[in-house]
Amino acid sequence: MITNRRLGLAAIAAALTLPAFAAQAAPPTIGYIYVGPEKDFGYNTSMDVGRQFVQKNLPGTKTLHVENIPETAEVEKVMERMIRSGARIIFATSYGYLDYAISLGKKYPKVAFLHAGGLKTGANVGTYWANSDDAMYLAGMAAGAVSKSGKLGFIGAFPIPQVVRSINAFTLGAQSVNPQVTTTVVWTGGWLLPPKEAEAANSLIDAGIDVIGGQVDSPMTYAQTAEKRGVHVVGKDVDVSHLAPKAVLTGASWNWGPMMLKLVKEIEAGTWKPSHVRGDMKDGTVVLDKFGPAVPEAARKTILAKKEEILANKFKVWAGPLTTQDGKPLLAAGAPMPMEQLESMQFFVKGVIGTVK
Amino acid sequence: MSSVDIVLAGLLVSALRSAAPLLLALLGECLTQRVGRINLGLEGQMLVGAVAGYATVAATGSPWLGLAGGAVAGALLSTVFGWLTVAAGANAFASGLAVWMLGLGLSAYLGTAFVGVRIEGFPLWIGGLTPTVALALVLVPLTALWLFRTRSGLRWRAVGESEHSARALGIVPWRVALSGIVVGGLFSGLGGAALSIDITRTWAEGMTAGRGLVAVGLVIVARWNPWLCLPAALLFGLGEALALRLQAADSAVAAHLLHMLPYAVSLLVFTLTCASLRRDPRSGGAPAGLRAVFER
Repeated sequence: MITNRRLGLAAIAAALTLPAFAAQAAPPTIGYIYVGPEKDFGYNTSMDVGRQFVQKNLPGTKTLHVENIPETAEVEKVMERMIRSGARIIFATSYGYLDYAISLGKKYPKVAFLHAGGLKTGANVGTYWANSDDAMYLAGMAAGAVSKSGKLGFIGAFPIPQVVRSINAFTLGAQSVNPQVTTTVVWTGGWLLPPKEAEAANSLIDAGIDVIGGQVDSPMTYAQTAEKRGVHVVGKDVDVSHLAPKAVLTGASWNWGPMMLKLVKEIEAGTWKPSHVRGDMKDGTVVLDKFGPAVPEAARKTILAKKEEILANKFKVWAGPLTTQDGKPLLAAGAPMPMEQLESMQFFVKGVIGTVK
Repeated sequence: MSSVDIVLAGLLVSALRSAAPLLLALLGECLTQRVGRINLGLEGQMLVGAVAGYATVAATGSPWLGLAGGAVAGALLSTVFGWLTVAAGANAFASGLAVWMLGLGLSAYLGTAFVGVRIEGFPLWIGGLTPTVALALVLVPLTALWLFRTRSGLRWRAVGESEHSARALGIVPWRVALSGIVVGGLFSGLGGAALSIDITRTWAEGMTAGRGLVAVGLVIVARWNPWLCLPAALLFGLGEALALRLQAADSAVAAHLLHMLPYAVSLLVFTLTCASLRRDPRSGGAPAGLRAVFER
């Protein structure tokens, strides 16, 4: 009896001194929340492929996933439901989920929250993201090399930093091949609006644009419109070259699985500390898609050489000299851009036509 | 190209493309309301039409068969609405919402296999027009002439004005009401299929994004007249085309405001229509029997 009580006291003392994330014995239950359909052939599919990778590589793990959850208080309810169903780790995969994750994090200190791309952390809320700017820069090089008019277009969902960065990286890459290149931006005002995406592509093509990049839920609609109209596209999030074999030049795709698995393992081992985890082309979280037939051999060589420079840390996309859209100097030659400035980007570089409004 | 050229280049074609699926659904709902029913399930019927049409093209390779498949699927789903409201006498709005949700869920479930599947759509005609745009345009006079100039059209209108009087004339009102609902379903399914097979060559969950609901509202703007369905749908299409083209021409207007344009334009016309109705109530064209929907 005495020993039991001692053990009990010891356990209480241990519990008080232990960090919130003690090593766990049983395999975890992990919740995933998507803003759109899990089978959207785009962003949400890429996150779900990551979920399946974690499930496959951590035997016994149970994953829960809920799709089509808007970035409103509803996501809080969904997270609480997952926690009640035993989830110890929650992947909040959409940008607008951040504040809900932070506030729920305070309510459930023993649950680990992982948010995609946010800039805030909590005691048990960390973020994960990958820098696809390198791959977008390389894809922009392909666009600049293939474009005959020197006029590129970009279809974006919302003017949030993640999309603004893609547009700037795409433009800078194209300008490295052809300094006269411009990129005209059209916002659709939604992540998954195929009719608007098709008409946005049509309006860009009618304006004389011959290569279109984009960052909406899935590149499938604007890629097929470009294929139909005989112009080219650069993909994002997933490779859609099977849908538009002639139109697709290349693209920047996600490979979230290894990063998610690493985070889950750290949390389970009790070594995880909430922070901003960032991957890129170097660690394989971002992939430059294969080239389409329209990219000439010489351009492929230049692009792959630049890729090697990026992988060897010899070239950085976000380094000066950089000038804003209206000609103001932004970064002096050789100066790097701090991560916070990069991830809160609300300006266009010179050569981009459009507004960040 | 100057900014003005960029906005105007292909503007009409773009407006027609945006308007065509909506016009098909609008014509269908116009006929449904002409027999005295309001079907909010249009949105779900369009989605089911979109996925069935897409699946048919994926299986057969023929976009024409796809359009037919979409139309049949839309008609089938509308029979659920018909059964609920005509046979079971359920509230039209509750039934419409139920059919909408049913169509949304059913299309999402059946559609998972077709996301990212490649299909061959219609080839582009000169000027970027496609057969579905032509089909929608041709159906406007056909529907109008049928409704206003044929015996069966007269019977439909009679039922829409007063089921009692129609019955006295030897018409069986429930049969006509059901036909109006199913033909509405056929048209909306066709509109959904046009959107997936032709306009976007994409199947995506919830891809109609409110177009079915817009069609229900635009029937009022079109004053229950198939002829006026064309300008009503075109106004919306023009608003959407302008919102995107003004951006491509680097207008300084915020994109958020531009995206309201199609709705703002429709609302403006709606307000003007209502104002003119107040001056001359008979100019509205609403079937008298439609009032019963609000009392059932």
